[in-house]
Amino acid sequence: MLLNLNRLGWWKLVLFGITVLTTAFLLLPILFIAALSFGSSQWLIFPPPSWTLRWYQELFADPRWLASAWTSFQIAIIVTVLSVLLGLATSFGLTRGRFAFREGLKALFLTPMILPVVVLAVALYAFFLKIGLNGTLTGFVISHLVLALPFSILSIGNALEGFDKSIEDAAVLCGASPLEAKVRVTLPAISHGIFSAAIFSFLTSWDEVVVAIFMSSPTLQTLPVKVWATLRQDLTPVVAAASTLLILLTVLLMVLVAVVRKGLKS
Amino acid sequence: MVSNTETDSGRAYAPARVRRLTDFELTLPALVLLVLFFVVPVVILLMRSVTEPVPGLGNYVELLGSSTYLRIFTNTFLVSGLVTVVSLLIGFPVAWALAVMPGRAASIVFAILLLSMWTNLLARTYAWMVLLQRTGVINKVLIGLGLIDKPLPLVNNLTGVTIGMTYIMLPFIILPLYGVIKKIDPAILQAAALCGANRWQSLVRVLLPLAMPGMAAGALMVFVMSLGYFVTPALLGGTANMMLAELIAQFVQSLVNWGMGGAAALVLLVVTLALYAVQLRFFGTDRMGGR
Repeated sequence: MLLNLNRLGWWKLVLFGITVLTTAFLLLPILFIAALSFGSSQWLIFPPPSWTLRWYQELFADPRWLASAWTSFQIAIIVTVLSVLLGLATSFGLTRGRFAFREGLKALFLTPMILPVVVLAVALYAFFLKIGLNGTLTGFVISHLVLALPFSILSIGNALEGFDKSIEDAAVLCGASPLEAKVRVTLPAISHGIFSAAIFSFLTSWDEVVVAIFMSSPTLQTLPVKVWATLRQDLTPVVAAASTLLILLTVLLMVLVAVVRKGLKS
Repeated sequence: MVSNTETDSGRAYAPARVRRLTDFELTLPALVLLVLFFVVPVVILLMRSVTEPVPGLGNYVELLGSSTYLRIFTNTFLVSGLVTVVSLLIGFPVAWALAVMPGRAASIVFAILLLSMWTNLLARTYAWMVLLQRTGVINKVLIGLGLIDKPLPLVNNLTGVTIGMTYIMLPFIILPLYGVIKKIDPAILQAAALCGANRWQSLVRVLLPLAMPGMAAGALMVFVMSLGYFVTPALLGGTANMMLAELIAQFVQSLVNWGMGGAAALVLLVVTLALYAVQLRFFGTDRMGGR
């Protein structure tokens, strides 16, 4: 009866009360930041004395904000493409392979996901100091790729495990070349996994800050590093404007995911 | 060590062109990337803890012997433990409610969970920095309600870190717990009721034990994730509540002491991996079903 809505009695009110409060707790900071980004108070007084677009103007007038956003975007796109390609090859190998150490290899590929990011950040920073990759686009791409790849391998691997390989074999029997069968039969069938891999990889890179803090140089920094550096100075509302745009991007991505999932299902 | 699958070798009749890649070779690019830019750098860093400034275990003696660093270790475990307990206390009722809710209401809660999870970490932390400051909304509301006379210090201390980290970790405990509770057969609880158990007895003796593996696994995950957190403690915590990840960053960035940085990294790494081993050993994926 504890799992039956109609028989929970007054417990239902308690459970739903906690859920409503928790939902409000989760939503509150997001709505609050969006509201404050339009408020006129320099000291983020709430409710704001009046409304303004000043912080957005300041944000777009400052070339450093735009440059860091552009850097982040370039890195995230390159990481997404490489992560999906590597994830595809690796997942095919891991799912279908029968070689020794397969399980160990699988575990190794997923380790960057569970390791504290700060350890990887410090380790790569030291390594890149020696080979001169700190503060370069390549350095950012490599380090974000290491972090994004596990998500890609997991998403594509799961999709591939749910796909019946005999369908691909049937295509080969019907005269398709093995590559053609993979491209025209298997890839469309696992497209939802590839899509998830792309979204996760993009977000991993786009939002990543810990490694980026170490990697960045005065001339090359990503958007999260710019936010971080600004926050260490003061709580300017310009960050609220930047955060609101980031939240907007999140909402857009969520809608995109929902639409694509629906499209893939039908 | 490398062998082709049966089906692959069956395609040997394909026109002689480039030799087909074996399954192992397909994993090679990713393997090279990980070895070169993950395994090697991490191993080098850890090695430096026993070679710099002089070979030996001096760094570890200093790290584990000084009260300053001991306080940071204690604080790291304290914050992670607090965040885990609070997340569980809030997360369990929410996951339970989600499991019994009508689908439409549940999907709204899920959407909000995902939105909060996917929103940029810095944006969320920034929001809490603003909300919790002395002149922030939380203090204003509390004063307005007459609950306090002067603003409470809510940020740059343990309270701030705990609120900010709990906010981040909640979805990570609610989502897996929901899966576990959803899989429990309601008939078991009906049987408990038929046998004369009241609601409390059903909760304590049936539902909680059934959900326990999921709760333990979720709690362990949140605890381990919290141990290595850097950004949120650095922005919401004060200098008195420094955590291990910040210490590592400080050794490397401000003090340029690679030996100590490596030693602190090794400690964090060992604790993390040990807890993951516990997780795998006791709550391996096959045991996550709440049975």
